[in-house]
Amino acid sequence: MKYRQVRRTGSAAGFEEIRMKKYLFIIKTQIIKSLTYEFNVYGNILMQTIIMITSAYFWRALYKGQGSVNGVDTDSMLIYVIISSALSVLLITNVERRIGGSVEKGTVATDMIKPISLFGMFFAEDIGSITALIFQNMLPIIIIGSLMIKVPVMADIRDLPLFVISVIESFLINWLIAALFGMTAFTAVNINALIQVKKHLIRLLSGSIIPIWFFPESVANVLYALPFVYIYQLPLSIYIGRGTRAEYLAQMRIQFLWLVILSALFFVVHDRVTRKVMVQGG
Amino acid sequence: MERSLDTLRHYLDVTAQNIKMAFMTIVEYPSNIAGWLISNPLQFIMGFAIIKFVVESFGEINGWNYGQLAFLYGLSVISHALSMIFFVQGWFMGWYVIEGDFDRYLTRPLGVLYQFFFTNINIFGITDLIPGIIVFIYGCITSGVQISFMFVIRVLIMLIGATLIRGGIYILIGSTSFHTRSAVDFGQYTQEIMDKTTMYPISMYPESMQFVLTYLIPIGWVSFYPVSSLLGIDNGISGGTATALITLAVGLLMMWLAGAYFNSGLKKYESAGN
Amino acid sequence: MIDVNGLCKDYTVKKKGAGLSGALKGLVSKNTGVIHAVRDLSFHIDEGEIVGFIGPNGAGKSTTIKMMSGILTPTSGSVLINGEDITKHRKEVVKHIGVVFGQRSQLNWDLRLEETFELLKHIYRIDADDYDKTMSIMDDILGIKELLDKPVRQMSLGQRVKGDLVASMLHSPKVLFLDEPTIGLDVSAKYSLRKFIKEINKVRKTTVILTTHDLGDIQELCERLIIINHGVMMEDGNLKEITDRVAPYKTLVAEYYDEDAPEHEKCEMISHEGNVARYRFLRSEISAADIIADLSSKKALKDISIEEAGIDDIIKIAYGDPVTDPS
Repeated sequence: MKYRQVRRTGSAAGFEEIRMKKYLFIIKTQIIKSLTYEFNVYGNILMQTIIMITSAYFWRALYKGQGSVNGVDTDSMLIYVIISSALSVLLITNVERRIGGSVEKGTVATDMIKPISLFGMFFAEDIGSITALIFQNMLPIIIIGSLMIKVPVMADIRDLPLFVISVIESFLINWLIAALFGMTAFTAVNINALIQVKKHLIRLLSGSIIPIWFFPESVANVLYALPFVYIYQLPLSIYIGRGTRAEYLAQMRIQFLWLVILSALFFVVHDRVTRKVMVQGG
Repeated sequence: MERSLDTLRHYLDVTAQNIKMAFMTIVEYPSNIAGWLISNPLQFIMGFAIIKFVVESFGEINGWNYGQLAFLYGLSVISHALSMIFFVQGWFMGWYVIEGDFDRYLTRPLGVLYQFFFTNINIFGITDLIPGIIVFIYGCITSGVQISFMFVIRVLIMLIGATLIRGGIYILIGSTSFHTRSAVDFGQYTQEIMDKTTMYPISMYPESMQFVLTYLIPIGWVSFYPVSSLLGIDNGISGGTATALITLAVGLLMMWLAGAYFNSGLKKYESAGN
Repeated sequence: MIDVNGLCKDYTVKKKGAGLSGALKGLVSKNTGVIHAVRDLSFHIDEGEIVGFIGPNGAGKSTTIKMMSGILTPTSGSVLINGEDITKHRKEVVKHIGVVFGQRSQLNWDLRLEETFELLKHIYRIDADDYDKTMSIMDDILGIKELLDKPVRQMSLGQRVKGDLVASMLHSPKVLFLDEPTIGLDVSAKYSLRKFIKEINKVRKTTVILTTHDLGDIQELCERLIIINHGVMMEDGNLKEITDRVAPYKTLVAEYYDEDAPEHEKCEMISHEGNVARYRFLRSEISAADIIADLSSKKALKDISIEEAGIDDIIKIAYGDPVTDPS
C-alpha cells in the first residue's frame, strides 16, 4: 500500500525510502540465514574459545617471570587477546567470495543490471551476518573470556567514544580491502590465492595475533604506514590503554586517511570494472 | 597377496593419472601460479619473522632458543605442506556433503576417501614445502644438530606420521558435516590452533592442555615430541628413536579412526537436491 | 538382473519456524521430524529392459535411483544387482553400472574432454581395444570424436551431456542409471540422447533405468513405467497396461445435424451441448466402430472424433490427482 503511494508522488525522498527498505530487507534476510545454521554458531563459538584460551596460555607462558614487556603487562595482554577475539567477529567479510562466485559463474553481468547496486547488496549482506554474529559469537566470546581468562575492563572508560569510532572505521577499512581484493576477480580467473594473501596480510600485519610493538622498530615503522595496523591494533591499543590520548588521535587521523584513500580507490576501481563488464558482458 | 598387490598397482596407476591431470590443470591457469607463489611463502616468511621478534622481546621460550624454535617451525611447516598436498580437500568436505559431490565417487569402483583426496591432489602445496625446507635447514644449522643417516630416516618417518595426524584431524572435523549437514570453516580457526600448538613447544602450556594435546587430540605428536626427541630435549613422554615410531603409529591410528568415522558418516550421506 | 526388496529410506529433518523469531527459536529448541521418502519398494528388472521412473517432485524417485546406484544407503531393504548387494559390495557392484545425473557432470571442468575419459580408462582398467571399440560406437551415435579436444568449460550443455553419456558407457556397464537426463536440453540434444539410449539398449543389451518428467522420453523410450508418489509405488507396467488400468475408457465426440442426440446403452453421455454429444465408453466392453454403427443407425451423424486419455492425464490419475474431464 505504502509503496504505491510513494510511487505516485514520485518524490526523490520516496525513492530513497524504497532503496533503504531494499537494503534493510537484505540485512534482515541475512540475519535469518545466519541464525539458521545452528551448528556453525556453536562450532564457531567452540573454536574461537579454544583459540582464545590457547592464546591466553601462550602469553601467560611468555610473560612468566617478566613484569612488563614493551610497556604492556600480562593483564593488559590477556585483555588484548579477549577483545581481539571479539573484534575478529566484526571483521568477517564475505564480499570477496561473493564477487568471485558471481564472476566464476558468469552471472556478474546480469547481477549488475539488477535494480540494486551489487556492492550495496554485498555490504548489506555482510552487515546482516555481522549483526547476527554480534549476538551469536561476540557476546558469548566476551562472556566466556571474562569467566575463564579475565574480565576485560577498559583501561580508561573516557576513551570509549574513540574506541567505538576506531572500531567502526576499522570495520569499513577491512571491508574495503576485502572488496578491492574481490574485484581482482575480474582480471584473474581464480581469486582464492589472492584471498589467502589478504588473509595472511591481515592476520600477521594487523597486530591481531602478535601486537606490532613486539616487532623491531624499523619493521614497525613500515607497518604503521600501511592500513593493516589500523584494523586491529589501533582500537585494541585504545582499549587496553597503551598510549596517550594524543597518540590515539594522531593514529586515528592516519586511520581516517586510509579510510578516505581506500574509499576513493574502491570507487575508481568499481567504476572501471562496471564499465568493463558492461562492454564485455562479463 | 597376489590380489592386494594387484589392487595396489591399480591405485598407483590411477594416482599417477591424477597427478598428471593436476599438472595439466595448473598449466591451464597460469595466473593462479603467481598467486600461490606469493601467498604461501609470504605466510611462512612472516610467521618465521614473528617467532624471531617474539624471542627477541621475551628471550627463550620455555627454554627453547631461537635455533631450536626454527627447527621446530621448519619441521612443522614441512608436515603442514605435505598435508596441504594430500589432504587439503578435507577442509572442503562439508561443501561436498552439502552439495552432493560425493555421488560421483560413490559410483566408481575405488575407495571414496581415496578418490576424494587424490582426484583433488593439490600440487600447489609444493609452494608451502619449499619455505618449510629452507627454514628447516636453517634450523638444523643454528641448533647445531648432528645429521646422520639415522637422523634423516627418523625425520622422514616422523614427517609421514605428522602428515597422517594432520590429515586425520581434517577428516575427523570434515566428517562432522555428514551429521550436521553444514560446513565447518577450516581456514580461519583450525589453522590458528594448529599454528599455536605446532610452531611453539607445547611444554609452555599448562599440564591439562598438554594432556589433551598428547592423548586426546594428538597435535603434540605433529611436531613437539618428534622435534624434542631429535634435539635431545627432555619432553617427559618419549625420547630417542622410539619417538619416530610412536609418531608414525599415532598417525596411522588417527587415519584409521578418521576413516572409520568418515565411513559411518557416509552411510548418512543424503546427496543433494530433489 | 536387478532385484529391489522392501526398500525404505527415511530422512531426519529439522523443523524450522518462519522469520526471525523462528530462526531464533531454532537455535535453542530441537524439533526434528522423520520423512519417509521411500516406503517398502519391491520390484524386479530384467536384463535389457528400459524402465522409466516417474512421479511428481519429491515423490522419491531420485532417492530410489540413488539407492539403486549405491549413492544412498537404504534405511532398510536391499538392492541386488546381478545377485550382489550394492550396499555391502559397493566397489565390486559399481563396476557394472554407469550413472548420468542430469545437473551433475562427472567431467573435469578445466581440461579437455579426453582427459576425463583417460582417467576413467585407468579407474575401470579398460584395455585399449575395448576403449577404441566403445569410442567408435559412441562416435556413430553421438559424434563424440569431434568434441574430444575441447575443454569441458567451453562446451554447451548439450555437448556436456554427450560427454557424460560416453563417460558413463566407457566401461561397458550392464546397467545405466539416468536421473532426469533431458532436463534443460534443446530439441536436437534431446533427440541425440534418446537415440543413444535406444542404441545402447539394442546393441549392447544395456539395461536402462531413468527418471524423467519429460512425456516425450516416456513415450519414446520406456517399455515399462514405475510410477512413484509419496515414496510408494502406484503403478508398474508398460504404458498400455497402465492406460488400460487407470484410464480404460475413450471418449467419442459425435456431431449431429440438430440438437437431439440419442443415448447408447453401453456408454455414458457425459455432455451434450448444441449439436455435439460426448460419450464415454470402456474399450474392453465395446469398440468405437460398434458405437458409431449403432448411433448412426438411430440418427444421421455429421462428424465424429475419438479422444483417448493422453499420457499426462494417465500420469495425473496415477499420481492420485482427481480425474478431470478430458474436454
